[in-house]
Amino acid sequence: MKKAVIYALAAILVLSFAVACKKKPAPVPPPPPQTQEQPPVEKVEPPVVQEPQLTEEEIFLQKSLEQINSEKPLETIYFDYDRAAIRTDALATLDANASWLKKFRTAKVLIEGHCDERGTEEYNLALGEKRAKATQDYLLSLGIAPDRIKIISYGKSQPIDPGHNEMAWQKNRRAQFLVIEK
Amino acid sequence: MRNTPKIVGFLVVLAAAGLFAQQEVVLKISEGMPMIPLALPEFVVRGASPAAQAAAQEIRQVLMEDVKYTRIFQLLPGEYYSYIRPLDPDRILFKDWDSIQARLLLTGEVREDGGRIVFDGKIYDVKSERFIVGKRYQAERNGLRLVAHKMADELLKLHGEKPIFTTRICFVSNRDGNDEIYMMDYDGANPTRVTFNKIKDYMPAWSPDQRTIAFTSYRGVTAGLYLRNIYEGTETAVATSGTNFSAAFSPDGRKLAFCSSMTEQGNADIFVMDLATRKSRRVTYNAATETAPSWSPTGREIAFTTDRLGAGSPQIYIMDAEGSNVRKASFGGNYHDAPAWAPTGERIAFVSRVDNTFDIYVLNLRTNQISKLTENNVRNESPSWSPDGRHLVFASNLSGSIQVYTVDYDGANLRRLTDRGENKLPNWTN
Repeated sequence: MKKAVIYALAAILVLSFAVACKKKPAPVPPPPPQTQEQPPVEKVEPPVVQEPQLTEEEIFLQKSLEQINSEKPLETIYFDYDRAAIRTDALATLDANASWLKKFRTAKVLIEGHCDERGTEEYNLALGEKRAKATQDYLLSLGIAPDRIKIISYGKSQPIDPGHNEMAWQKNRRAQFLVIEK
Repeated sequence: MRNTPKIVGFLVVLAAAGLFAQQEVVLKISEGMPMIPLALPEFVVRGASPAAQAAAQEIRQVLMEDVKYTRIFQLLPGEYYSYIRPLDPDRILFKDWDSIQARLLLTGEVREDGGRIVFDGKIYDVKSERFIVGKRYQAERNGLRLVAHKMADELLKLHGEKPIFTTRICFVSNRDGNDEIYMMDYDGANPTRVTFNKIKDYMPAWSPDQRTIAFTSYRGVTAGLYLRNIYEGTETAVATSGTNFSAAFSPDGRKLAFCSSMTEQGNADIFVMDLATRKSRRVTYNAATETAPSWSPTGREIAFTTDRLGAGSPQIYIMDAEGSNVRKASFGGNYHDAPAWAPTGERIAFVSRVDNTFDIYVLNLRTNQISKLTENNVRNESPSWSPDGRHLVFASNLSGSIQVYTVDYDGANLRRLTDRGENKLPNWTN
């Protein structure tokens, strides 16, 4: 039985070989020239998170106090000799400083009152405080909250200009601003 | 300059040893009287010690400077000593000293003992041929100036004066880059830094025992007032709200007067703190500026500055220490400030501005007369008296930069004490 199967299979094999040899296949036509179709270029980019447009306030909050103060956002105002009254030429500066304070609602500032070298140490310390106070009062009148403005006096101990003439003295009679909280 | 001198060891009042009888001899001479001739012969050096030899030179040199500074005693001219027999400390020939017009004789013996210097100083009254006082001091090399100052203080005590030579002057200097508090001897020697906080320290004032300094310090966003015990190294805050400055201890050391804007921003008023209870009381209530309190020697009154009669024109007033009985003390001129009440009671030194120069004046409270102490067309400021009321320390830009000077109550004897950096706001006593 087994043998019969083997013979049968062998016969099939021989037959099929014979058939294959008998049939000379026609030459295969060359494949049509393939029009090399390019895949569309797929741009691969990681998804971009769209940064929100920062408000001025947010930019402000990102800076350190040193950065903010180095940009001198609040301008110094100047005083007459022996006087603590706000001069009319200082009003525009103070108005601008007030707008800045209104814009950056969280900022707190220290107003430093300074004097020129003339006058005694004691009297100048008191005068510097009066200048800082007058400056603060003006800003309060423009609606800035009192807890946002602190004052201090340095008297004549921190001149901007070490000179001994009216030009130097004028620069030293001042109220200057320091941002102490943002 | 030297380190802080330390008297190591002890002093022995020789009288206590029973060798001499201590006598109460007080020579009282008022101002304007002739000076007392004092013989200060070369000190006797015991033992062949070069260190003792050098110490004898140094102590005598400093002592001579101190004596000259008093203007109460007058050193005998050097050549007088050659007219008489040399000094024998064991047998004083008073007739010799009398013959060269010495009224007092100060002798010194110096020896070295275990690496330290021992100095024996004795003071004799020549006319009565009597020993008056003797002191023995033992010191390291760096304490020799202090030995001399202590001996000089004995002379002042004999004269019924408060000793000044061992007292110190505190001041503000930027010599190390930042405004810090320093102190120095009365003659400018031994400058020593007191604060090391790298922040601005300002307006120091001594306690009467010269152990504590009250000062303003810019910390955070306030100018607070602090007390620093310089020998214990402790510090306590007195007032930290608003701007606080111009501290002055009462003569008994129990109270501290100072200026503060703590109750009214922008307006300095005078407060008095009881240092035992730490309670402050406001003593001036005025919208004008009140600054620069200075106690009377009794502690019952305070001189201060106010511009209540016109902003920009401060004047000196006196009130009772509780704030009542306010009266004006300065007249003429439109800018008087920084009153300093002399410890001897009769005078108030102050600063006055005339034609934009600032000079120091003294108001005699008995006669109401004013005398001008400085006259150099610059800025002279911050006067403070010596404990005996005979000298003043102040700051001046006479040399171009601000430096500390002393001058006598009558304008004589101007001396510069500092030269490194800028030095200001000196305080001797309050």
